[in-house]
Amino acid sequence: MIANLDGLNKAFESKIRLGIMSVLMANESVDFTTLKSLLELTDGNLASHARSLEDLGYIRCEKRFIGRKPNTSYSITDLGRAAFSAHIQALASFINTQQ
Amino acid sequence: MENKEVLNTLNDIKEMMERSSKFKAISGLSIVIVGILASLVSAYIYFCMGDYHINTPAKWHTTVIIAIVLLVVAFATVFVMSYLKARHLKLRFTFDTTMRRLLLNFFIPMAAGGLLCMALLSQQHYGLVSSITLIFYGLALINSSHFSYSELRYLGYAELALGLIDCFLVDYAVLTWFLGFGVFHIVFGVIFMLKYGRRK
Repeated sequence: MIANLDGLNKAFESKIRLGIMSVLMANESVDFTTLKSLLELTDGNLASHARSLEDLGYIRCEKRFIGRKPNTSYSITDLGRAAFSAHIQALASFINTQQ
Repeated sequence: MENKEVLNTLNDIKEMMERSSKFKAISGLSIVIVGILASLVSAYIYFCMGDYHINTPAKWHTTVIIAIVLLVVAFATVFVMSYLKARHLKLRFTFDTTMRRLLLNFFIPMAAGGLLCMALLSQQHYGLVSSITLIFYGLALINSSHFSYSELRYLGYAELALGLIDCFLVDYAVLTWFLGFGVFHIVFGVIFMLKYGRRK
């Protein structure tokens, strides 16, 4: 049973990081506040998890100003897309071997 | 146990992808109400004008004004009732990306169709106006179904088909409006409520 879980990505073990990746898979780009309210997180919580995904190269962070307000938006990278797909594939095949 | 956990995770992923990309707080009852309003208004135009041949500029003038008022009232109804539904079910109802995308994708075809109708009316080409309203409304629904309930596209297909049939008919404007904006909305709204209304 444990052998089947080989394909799982450690980076997506946390529910929050899994949520961030799910949202970014489905959307071209999502800004910080939208992501925060979707996942019901605090500023710091989202920032730190997003940072760790950014460091892995799975997501891209873009900071700019709209008028005078700073605006941060996130989007998924090709690497992130591939890694997340592989993770889902591993989860799905785990279920298939169980049945 | 392990198996269940994995299934839950996959479900969470799917739900989060859906929730973040689609606007899912449209009131089914408001669709039915819009249908009833449109039926009443078509009946009013039919009886008020003596017959259903809208073939003089004066009749068109009245009809266009009524149609614009109806459009505004209908949209306001859907908006307000969806807001109430969202508040009741504690769904998200903010002017965020999903709502913006839905509105944009709905109103671009609507605006294009509206302008086209205005141009045709101003040049006294009355014949195709009723079908164009239905065709563009259908396209707007099909377009917005990608950003909301995907079932909206079926209503869109129906409006589109009716509009295309209407192209080949002369003088049935009020009847097709009654069907397209009245009956279709009521039927779709009821099915919609049966599917989504009872949850939670």
